[in-house]
Amino acid sequence: MSKIFHIARREFAATALTKGFIIGAFVVPAIFVAVIPLIVILTMNAEAPKVEGTVAVIDRTGEVGASVQDSIDREIERSRKQVKEAVEKSQELAKELTGQSAPLPMGAEGAMDMAMGAVPELRVEVLAPNTDEEAEKDRLRPSAAEGEDNDALLALAVIDADAVLKADDQDSFGSFQVFVRPKLDDRVIDTVRDAIRSAVREARYTANGYDPNTIKALTSVQSRRTKEISETGEERGSMEALTMLLPIAFMLLLMMSVMIGGQYLLTTTVEEKSSRVVELLLSATSPMQLMTGKILGQMCVGLLLLTIYSGLGIGALITFSLGDILPVSAVIYLFIFFILAYFMIASLLAAVGSAVNDMREAQSLQTPVMILIMIPYILWLPISRDPNSTFATVLSFVPPVSPFVMMLRMTSSQASDIPFWQPLLSVLVGIIGAYCCVWMAAKVFRVGLLMYGKPPNFRTLVKWVRMA
Amino acid sequence: MGHAIRMSKVRKTFGKKVAVEGIDLELPEGALYGFIGPNGAGKTTSIRMIMSILFPDSGELEVLGKKSAVESKDRIGYLPEERGLYRKMKVHSFLEHMGRLKGLDSGAPLRKTVMDWLERVELGDVAKKKCEELSKGMQQKVQFIACVLHEPDLLILDEPFSGLDPVNMRLLRDLIQEQHDAGRTVIFSTHVMQQAEQLCDHIVMIHEGKKVLDATLDEIRSRHDPRTILFTPLNGEGDASLAAVAGVGSVEHTERGYEAHLGANADPVSVMRAIMEACPVTRVELRRPTLEDVFVEIVEGTGGGRMPAPEPTVAVSTGDLA
Repeated sequence: MSKIFHIARREFAATALTKGFIIGAFVVPAIFVAVIPLIVILTMNAEAPKVEGTVAVIDRTGEVGASVQDSIDREIERSRKQVKEAVEKSQELAKELTGQSAPLPMGAEGAMDMAMGAVPELRVEVLAPNTDEEAEKDRLRPSAAEGEDNDALLALAVIDADAVLKADDQDSFGSFQVFVRPKLDDRVIDTVRDAIRSAVREARYTANGYDPNTIKALTSVQSRRTKEISETGEERGSMEALTMLLPIAFMLLLMMSVMIGGQYLLTTTVEEKSSRVVELLLSATSPMQLMTGKILGQMCVGLLLLTIYSGLGIGALITFSLGDILPVSAVIYLFIFFILAYFMIASLLAAVGSAVNDMREAQSLQTPVMILIMIPYILWLPISRDPNSTFATVLSFVPPVSPFVMMLRMTSSQASDIPFWQPLLSVLVGIIGAYCCVWMAAKVFRVGLLMYGKPPNFRTLVKWVRMA
Repeated sequence: MGHAIRMSKVRKTFGKKVAVEGIDLELPEGALYGFIGPNGAGKTTSIRMIMSILFPDSGELEVLGKKSAVESKDRIGYLPEERGLYRKMKVHSFLEHMGRLKGLDSGAPLRKTVMDWLERVELGDVAKKKCEELSKGMQQKVQFIACVLHEPDLLILDEPFSGLDPVNMRLLRDLIQEQHDAGRTVIFSTHVMQQAEQLCDHIVMIHEGKKVLDATLDEIRSRHDPRTILFTPLNGEGDASLAAVAGVGSVEHTERGYEAHLGANADPVSVMRAIMEACPVTRVELRRPTLEDVFVEIVEGTGGGRMPAPEPTVAVSTGDLA
């Protein structure tokens, strides 16, 4: 036993106490954590650049021009309201999730402004219907616009003569054309275009004898947020985004720590073999002790990573008062499934490592193992959409993907529908699978360690399992 | 006195190739045995079976009184032919790690033992260096320490001298001799005959998977006595009449002088005297058979074909583990 312990300790130290590992595992996440408040501080005082200027309108109909200023004002008012609503909505969401009203983090409004773009201040200059288009276009040219910032002409809109009243020989109405200064914020362009479109639309309503306000009232239907009725009959907002994110987060966490631990195991095994230190080790230990020690050592590396990252995730959820959406049992199962999945995948990778001569040869042999890990990742969407389908249920009892699939199911929104025996059966199947993988790996490991020369293929590996 | 190693009818095959074919061997405790044989003869396979790294297909094996070396690994020191170090590990931590794997308690005494050994082989100043920074000879000394650190009862050294310069070769020879003097059983393989000749009192030779020689050096010498007398005539010219000396079968002229091959039943002492009487000589000696002669004789005699390769051991690409 003590030999296994010493091998495991060396394995852990040789992997986790290196500069590269510490930087990768601690410094990078630490930088992420440090950067988040930095972004908040930076955006708190940031104000989106103001856009001010004139929009010239050549209205060849003579009926729209007057209402363009109104329309633009309304359009600006609407985007202001959108920003406000978005802020309120996020507050509301947080309240629904946590059951308490969380004050909006400082600087959130500034951040929203940044995201939604500055609310522009636009003046409308209505030109005579017969103004020369080309002369006005010159005013948009950068050289001409320079030096007159406040009165800069941002856009020029030309409304066709038949935009409101259809010309007799045409099938459809005329339209309008907007010319803008180079590099104008596209959100300003949108505002101008939307405003003129609605001005033209209203002019058409009036010209045809309808009241624009009536039409607007008739066509507007407010949509409300979808609510979910829970088992106890209470209403709550559905948390589609979060319920989708939680399973994939758990599975990625599981996959990442299994893969990193397994990958290190493969590397150190290949290194021991190619540096020929292995026979010296075998003079002191049995191959089984060596493999067990190595697997356990790298398991600690994987556990360390899993603890760091899940700890960060849980910490983040608690910071945003979202701690209760995380079932404690899921966290416990995360660690159980990690150990099972790790034993299956890592022992296979140890076998691969013992069979090859260098990392290059390892690449091709480890591909099938990597594909095994990728299966649940590929099937993530169908499984998390319908976590209790026959397909998903069966897959959660098939090692070596069972731990990953069960983890997906247990963190999905329908986790409460999973019978209690299913996770337990999955664990049991996982233990059997892990035992078989370690058993097979041990056979390959024993033969492979001292085999140099031609890289083996899968047929040889099977032969070794039979032979040993 | 008990036996350190006992093998009987041990056989091992790799696929169709027979690596070791029915070897019987008894190694008394405290002996210093040399394992010789051409490349690919089955030396390393035999040693790996003794170490329970490989397992024989058939036959019986007993190491230090146990059925397999697995139970007595901590009492054996093994220097494999295919040896390496953890490249990124510091020399002293590597040795401490090996010591712990061999059942030594970690802590200050182990550290001190390691440092004492490093000083002894003049590597005290590299203790804190990484293994990859060491030269090949230095690495080999570190590996040797790794296998004697735990004061084993049985020392198995596979090609311990390959790649060492003469100074270090002598140092290692002294260290091996010292282990032997301390009463430990030592067995080492080599294909450099002089080393075997200088160190061992007993030689085992393996050829094509079979044991072809198992005797003390003296026995071997007397058995493979070439019955040749070397002499250099004083006047530089040989005399045809020498062939007429009683007991001389034939005379051969070589670069260094003459070789007189004794006839059957001739007594070397009286023939030497007769030669001196027949012509004045600057030198006359009875040629002692070297181990190399015996080696070559056996290898060529059994039709094994090749001469023992004189090149230093290369890391054999043992796809077949031979």
